[in-house]
Amino acid sequence: MGEFILNVIHRPEMVPEYSATVTGHGKEEDIGDKKLLTESLDIFKTQQRLAHENGLKVTIHMTYAALFNDEAVQIAKDDHEKYGDEIALSLLGLPCEQFRDKYKTKDFCIWMFAMEDKKRIVDDVFAKFYERFGFYPESTGSYYMDAELTNYIKEKYPMVKCAIATCWEEGPKAYHTCNNSWYTLFDGGPWAPWIPSKQNTHAPAANEAEDSGIVAIPHLSRDLIACYDGNGSNFGTHPQNVLRGMIYDSKTWEYPYLYNLIDQYRAQEKYNNGYAYNMMFVGPGWMNKMGRWEAPYELLLKSYSDGCKYYGDLKKEGKLIDMTMSEFADYYRKKKSYTEPECALWRDILYGSDKQLFWYTDPYMRAGVNMDQGGAIFDLRPYAAKLKWEVGIGTKHVQDASYPFLIQEKYRAGYFTHYAGEGTIRSAKICYQGEEVDLCLCRSKAHFSQEGKVRILTLDPVDIEFYDLTIKLQSRLYFAEGEGTIRITREILEMSRPGAQVEINEYMVACYGTTEYPEDMSGIRLRCEGSQPKEIVYEYRCREESLADAKEVSAVIPAIETKVSMKASEGAEGYVREGYAFSPMFTLGYKKQVSEKEVFATWLKLEKVN
Amino acid sequence: MAQAGKGKLNYRCPACFMRDLDIDMFYDKEKDEYYCLRCQYTGKEADVLEGNEMVRTKYKAMYQRFIKFDFEE
Repeated sequence: MGEFILNVIHRPEMVPEYSATVTGHGKEEDIGDKKLLTESLDIFKTQQRLAHENGLKVTIHMTYAALFNDEAVQIAKDDHEKYGDEIALSLLGLPCEQFRDKYKTKDFCIWMFAMEDKKRIVDDVFAKFYERFGFYPESTGSYYMDAELTNYIKEKYPMVKCAIATCWEEGPKAYHTCNNSWYTLFDGGPWAPWIPSKQNTHAPAANEAEDSGIVAIPHLSRDLIACYDGNGSNFGTHPQNVLRGMIYDSKTWEYPYLYNLIDQYRAQEKYNNGYAYNMMFVGPGWMNKMGRWEAPYELLLKSYSDGCKYYGDLKKEGKLIDMTMSEFADYYRKKKSYTEPECALWRDILYGSDKQLFWYTDPYMRAGVNMDQGGAIFDLRPYAAKLKWEVGIGTKHVQDASYPFLIQEKYRAGYFTHYAGEGTIRSAKICYQGEEVDLCLCRSKAHFSQEGKVRILTLDPVDIEFYDLTIKLQSRLYFAEGEGTIRITREILEMSRPGAQVEINEYMVACYGTTEYPEDMSGIRLRCEGSQPKEIVYEYRCREESLADAKEVSAVIPAIETKVSMKASEGAEGYVREGYAFSPMFTLGYKKQVSEKEVFATWLKLEKVN
Repeated sequence: MAQAGKGKLNYRCPACFMRDLDIDMFYDKEKDEYYCLRCQYTGKEADVLEGNEMVRTKYKAMYQRFIKFDFEE
């Protein structure tokens, strides 16, 4: 049996998020409201009690506001002594009278401040923490920690070794859900702990030189299917997220989904050398005495109590190890190497489909594979570029902290488009005498295996029916650790007419971006390499070039300093295709005639270019 | 007509929730109904609760407890 690690985190937030817009509706803003402070502290005490009653250790994230509250400081000291809780420092929860008076702003998200302000605030809160506790924290965090912020913290406060550094797939979807008023735009990161690179928080470090010096943990452990196409804050190991999603029986107040979610994370140890991880972090605003949305306080309390009990029972059964964040950082450093990927084979546990996805993250890429679409890659982030992407006031990206994609099937369609054009996807078309079948329409399931440092995804064979020919085809995807490549093979296992040949067209439709809206594709360089190299510089003119026995087909995308290329086994024709204004994409591909028992292999590679 | 306020709970608009939007509704005490600022939804509390049950229909496996997370034999 593997090890399932849990981090439980509480923050005494004196002015909880949502309190002003929910609890305080109809009142003038009063950030120093004593009633609010008392209630917030009561919620924190309740959370601490529930965790400790269930035998769970907590990492207490002191907020700036809490550092001015003697009672909050004393609770942290007492619970550290009594339960071994870690006293850490949050960069959330900045709003309070002292902060407003000093910084003259209502901004509260650390990654959005100008760099000089980030430094001032960090120094201020770390100094205040030291003043109250006599030491500096080893753990910190926010909803997002940009690389420049982390680098500064690590330089000034080298004892910091763990940080909450992103919320998985919290981007335009969360923004939409909040009526376009919640600016946490940071899609494209890992869903499980990782060592961020110095260059970009989302992209894991490939080696010691790139190591930011911290172990990052995600804010919550989220449903790897539901969050990709919905509001992330409905589907996480935050019991009240599940209430927000209305994923409970309104009569019995039961929520098996929460336990399914935790258990599916436990199951991930099979794909990660016997290790799995969960994080639970509920801010006090979510346990508001006034209730939260349609959930009354009693249900909020029950859900948090049940969440703690479920984890606590797992611990009692020897199926869970609770750690503080700094303990986890030490554990992770021993357990994982830089290049070891994080893998997740994930099934739908909510909508009643048998849909299955595979997620893969290493220092070179994040990739999502959809078995319901024949093993198509539906999301691809080129971490190999380690893109410098400063965020906050004074940068090009004040709010947008997402890592850019090459493929994102929700923001740039996937297989299905309306009327014209193409969507981003990496799939294959099987062609025979004028008929064409895309593997995106072949539903399958996958099996995970590992050979040395290669993770292999083997899909169940699928049947493809043409007018007078049926073939059985099997796809395999190979993720080689430390190489930044994905090898994909298609093997024709059977043909109803043994002498027949079909054409396999391996293709990747891609672009780049971080949101739903298109970016300027001008200047992207598409090339076929070989005896007579061909090149197209993108001008939206719908051109195409091809080359027999092409050694490589590639696209260089200057805006994200990325080169993506494909290679193929011998005898294939490579091609590149430019898009047009209504279809701002490019396509790379290889075509080959294939017979029964033959295997056609292609390699997708991601590299940094300047 | 007096201004609207919040009801006893912060009911969200069921119609907006179905399109992945969390929009708090406001309560019109003269009509005894909740209404959405963003779309055209209006409803008594019972209608809202009924709408919330409609929301749940997309979660076909909501009441199911899973013990297996792969598709191995």
